[in-house]
Amino acid sequence: MRIESPRTGARQRNEEAYAALPAYGAARPEGSSYIMGGCGIAGVMNMAGEKVCGDRIARMLSTMSERENGLGAGYAAYGLFPDDLKDLYCLQFLFDDEKAMTVTEEYLKNRGAIVRDERVPTQRVDSLRPPRPIVWRYFFRPDPRSEKFRTKEQSEDECMVEAVMGINGAIPGAICISSGKDMAVFKGNGHSYEIAEHFDIARYDAAMWLSHSRFPTNSPGWWAGAHPISLLDWSVCHNGEITSYGVNRRFVEMNGYRCSLLTDTEVITYTWDLLVRRHGLPIPMAAVIMAPPYYRDIERLDENGKKLAYQLRATYKEAFLNGPFSILVGRSRPEITMVAMADRKKLRPLLIGESDDGKTVYAASEECAIRSVQERAETWEADPGSPMIARVGEGIVRRGIEPPFGVMDR
Amino acid sequence: MSAAERQGSVFRDRFRPFISEDCVRCGRCVKECSFDALVKQEGRIVANGGCVACMRCVEMCPSSAIEVRHAPPQMAPHPTFTGRVRESIIAQAGSGGVLLSSCGTDLPYDVIFDDIVLDAAQVTNPSIDPLREPIETITFVGRRSGRVRLDDGGRLLGGSGPLVAMDMPLMLGHVSLGAVSLNAQEALFMAAEKLNVLAGSGEGGLHPDMYRYADHVNSEVASGRFGVTPEYLRRTAAVEIKIGQGAKPGHGGHLPGEKVTELISSTRMIPMGTDALSPYPHHDIYSIEDLQQLIAVLKESTEYQVPVGVKIAAVHNVGAIASGVVRAGADFITVDGFRGGTGSSPRVIRDHAGIPIEVAIAAVDRRLSQEGLRNRVTLCAGGTIRGSADMIKALALGADVAMVCTAALVAMGCRVCQSCHRGVCAWGIATQRPELTSRLDPEQGARRIVNLFHAWNEELKEVLGAMGIDSVESLVGNRDRLRYLGPNPKLAEIMGIKHIGEGWG
Amino acid sequence: MTSVTSDVRIMRDGRKEATIDASSRDPHGRPVDQQTLNEEIRRVIAAGADRISVTGVMGQRYIASACTDRELYIRIDGTPGNGLGAFLDGPTIEVFGNAQDMTGNTMACGRIIVHGNAWDVTGLAARGGRILIRDSSGYRVGIHMKEYGGSVPSIIIGGRVGDYLGEYMAGGSILVLGNGSRRSPAGSSIGAGMHGGSIYVRGPVEEHQLGIGAALQPLDDTDRQRLEDMISDFERCFSLRVTRNWPEYLKIAPLSSRPFCGHFDPIPI
Repeated sequence: MRIESPRTGARQRNEEAYAALPAYGAARPEGSSYIMGGCGIAGVMNMAGEKVCGDRIARMLSTMSERENGLGAGYAAYGLFPDDLKDLYCLQFLFDDEKAMTVTEEYLKNRGAIVRDERVPTQRVDSLRPPRPIVWRYFFRPDPRSEKFRTKEQSEDECMVEAVMGINGAIPGAICISSGKDMAVFKGNGHSYEIAEHFDIARYDAAMWLSHSRFPTNSPGWWAGAHPISLLDWSVCHNGEITSYGVNRRFVEMNGYRCSLLTDTEVITYTWDLLVRRHGLPIPMAAVIMAPPYYRDIERLDENGKKLAYQLRATYKEAFLNGPFSILVGRSRPEITMVAMADRKKLRPLLIGESDDGKTVYAASEECAIRSVQERAETWEADPGSPMIARVGEGIVRRGIEPPFGVMDR
Repeated sequence: MSAAERQGSVFRDRFRPFISEDCVRCGRCVKECSFDALVKQEGRIVANGGCVACMRCVEMCPSSAIEVRHAPPQMAPHPTFTGRVRESIIAQAGSGGVLLSSCGTDLPYDVIFDDIVLDAAQVTNPSIDPLREPIETITFVGRRSGRVRLDDGGRLLGGSGPLVAMDMPLMLGHVSLGAVSLNAQEALFMAAEKLNVLAGSGEGGLHPDMYRYADHVNSEVASGRFGVTPEYLRRTAAVEIKIGQGAKPGHGGHLPGEKVTELISSTRMIPMGTDALSPYPHHDIYSIEDLQQLIAVLKESTEYQVPVGVKIAAVHNVGAIASGVVRAGADFITVDGFRGGTGSSPRVIRDHAGIPIEVAIAAVDRRLSQEGLRNRVTLCAGGTIRGSADMIKALALGADVAMVCTAALVAMGCRVCQSCHRGVCAWGIATQRPELTSRLDPEQGARRIVNLFHAWNEELKEVLGAMGIDSVESLVGNRDRLRYLGPNPKLAEIMGIKHIGEGWG
Repeated sequence: MTSVTSDVRIMRDGRKEATIDASSRDPHGRPVDQQTLNEEIRRVIAAGADRISVTGVMGQRYIASACTDRELYIRIDGTPGNGLGAFLDGPTIEVFGNAQDMTGNTMACGRIIVHGNAWDVTGLAARGGRILIRDSSGYRVGIHMKEYGGSVPSIIIGGRVGDYLGEYMAGGSILVLGNGSRRSPAGSSIGAGMHGGSIYVRGPVEEHQLGIGAALQPLDDTDRQRLEDMISDFERCFSLRVTRNWPEYLKIAPLSSRPFCGHFDPIPI
């Protein structure tokens, strides 16, 4: 006997299985310790300094519909705030309840000034499953002299790192999802198009957008666990699974970061912050650390390159991200910058695109994401482990096909 | 022999060679046996007592006619007063002496390595084919800076070093000339050179003939300071201060005068025939500040060109001790577990002092991480690394390098008969007798060690590939990829590894 | 739910031509889902179409997978998604645009022609048929291609490819022409562990780019014949001219059909 499967849409069929799972807001899912899965990533930047409407990134992301299963999606916008707000830290929070919000505000007021705060506009999307956490935004100026900070006389950035780690680790029901200047993260538990609609992404015009849709294989939906994962003005969208997670996690924890989001992406985000902001390394060098060239290729570099590469591999061996990944990394300071790179074996898809007028750069897991919004574009693959770097005002400063130390741009 | 002398002597005969009908009576075995356990009587080969199961006769017999059997004298069975316990009592009642032994402890302690299982990649990340795709095993030994500093032009201002780059995360442990023959030591050095790894010199100085291996020698500075000269410190790739040894923590060394031959005398720079004594402590190190001074003077004397390390035995407080050692300036630290080998040690210490290497690695790794020091130092660990599986587990528990000794000696011929301290090693390893040392061809010994380490390294690559890891540093301290399958979950907790059945995190 | 529209016409020569328009979008801007599109393709095949033209394709995966009709021709305008022509056993697929990853996965027979790029893992484990890419392809192209019986797979790439070209290769031919590439037309680990077949590259390949078990070898007459066949096919498909300056063409072939003998020790312990 043979029982035929009823005709249902592919997406429906995938997702019925997940509908019964519990969903979570800011609070950490019970019993989960590490979240893995396959994902879709997409990014766009107007290098000429014009703004890109949020619906464009939503279209890119949701075109790759096979890469998500409705258990998380998110967007990071860079260069979206007016002049009077863009030099303040913008902290966006997910709160499970008013109490978490009150405690968090108290926490912040003890460490600086809330210059302005507001509800992040959302609209009701019926297909989104509850819970739907409160999303609130604070424009904040930290006070390094505050006695509440464990480390005295640290920079404002360090104050923010300490505050974010403190809140995420200690206040139940509160998660800070972004904390940078002139940038904000919008994310939640749902499909890419649902999250876009929920936050009315089209209301924002930004210089750069990064985005991520999830296909978690071992975990329920969790608003705070969706990507991008962000700290200060860094945000990371990541597709892949780091096989060296334990090593990398210990490394960032040893350097004072506290991991609370159950994902390797969190560790990648902190690694970028550590290497580039704290240690002052140029982006391509940080890329060499995270996806180092093979020794056999290092041996073919010139003497200086060889020396440098050995130093980076030996000194930062715990920051080597092993296993398959492709990532989009954004930051807003000193200028709005997009980095796109894959692991050193190029085990995850990543395509770069440039519009034919040379104004817009794209990066995505699939060609269709780029083509869906830009019919006329040149697309290419960067070399394994080699970052594409684009910057507002400067254009594509590194295409990702240069030798490891070929273009040492900060 | 008086009745008092006779008492108990029979128990020392724990093994007995049996000669089959295939014997061609060539007498080779009699010549090979350095323990005089076989004699030729009336044209036949017969056992003479005193067999230690070194297996030399078995392996050399041209007609495969010899079999060594375990022949314990039958005492009334007793689970508490085991045969071994009673033998010890009887022996000491006769001699009044401290019982000596060699190799690692033979008490049946559980090997924790055997209670740990490895992870492999399935679906969510791909495994890697180690045969066709590069898997890197290059490993650095030495000081790391924690960060690299550059000037505005991207040129190096500061970074890690001095570092020794080895081709695999393995190093040969310290075996001193004196404890072993020059041929044995040369085989180890030769192998290290071919494998591009480090080999320990032991505390017995470096014979001038060995200077040619200087680029692969890790020179030991122990409490006896034998042969430590400016030349010794120049002819080396690394220097290691020996504070302790896993098989005899807190104990010194004693090479009896009869082993101090011309060769040993000139290398150790002590008169022939005198006992070579290594004091229990370093008498210039009574505290951690003093250790700092010794590290500093060695760095100064080697002009900061080679890493200076410290070797300690795995003892109860090993985490804090290691932290102090790193703060004192050690570029690398070697932790030696209590099952580790020795050429001679009081049995009571060998069998009862110290902790297993598995736990020590995890404790040191955790402590150094908590203190933000782990990425400043190379952690080497040894003490019964018996095969690639032990090495892999040691790395995943947190060691950068696995130190191997007994296995390399076994590759050369040692059969772990635990009689090194008697100085008549039939394989020409732990002896200075010319007729025995000549049995070991350094080239051949080196070849077998090279084969062994090569095979282990290939097995490491197989496992890394299966885990989806393509370079060994991503295994070091990756305890997520281990699970505990043993009888004592508390141990797993202490080692920071999860129990089987628990997922990632 | 989005839908596709199709139209089947009988041409003057008696052949049936179907056109499928896949360009509609749902209210969120999402393209038609792959299952709907593939079902429609199967429906028009069952209705007897000899030629199918699909327009407005945007990322839909597995188009024409496991199709077995040898006479069938499918034209695709747009960006077909991953796994185009997987298990293909007969038809010809022609793409006007770029294809994504895993084009021609485990293909047995037929032709896939891409007027553009086809990215990673093109022609994985192909056992027959031919894939022609006008521009470049990505990483791990032609992995574990094999020939069996009379079936010999081949892949021709006009531009360049990334690392691990022809890894595990057990048979068939790959040709990389290197058009428009100033770098070597191929990456590293070329032919790693290959134990059959041949890889041809027009342009510089250095020793360090070769994978284990692969070696540069001189071209012989059979090679030149094979190249002539592949090049002329490429020229016809894309209306391009390719020079046949044989010294520019390098051949990479296996050193042995059993490259890892001696790696394992079968001793019973």
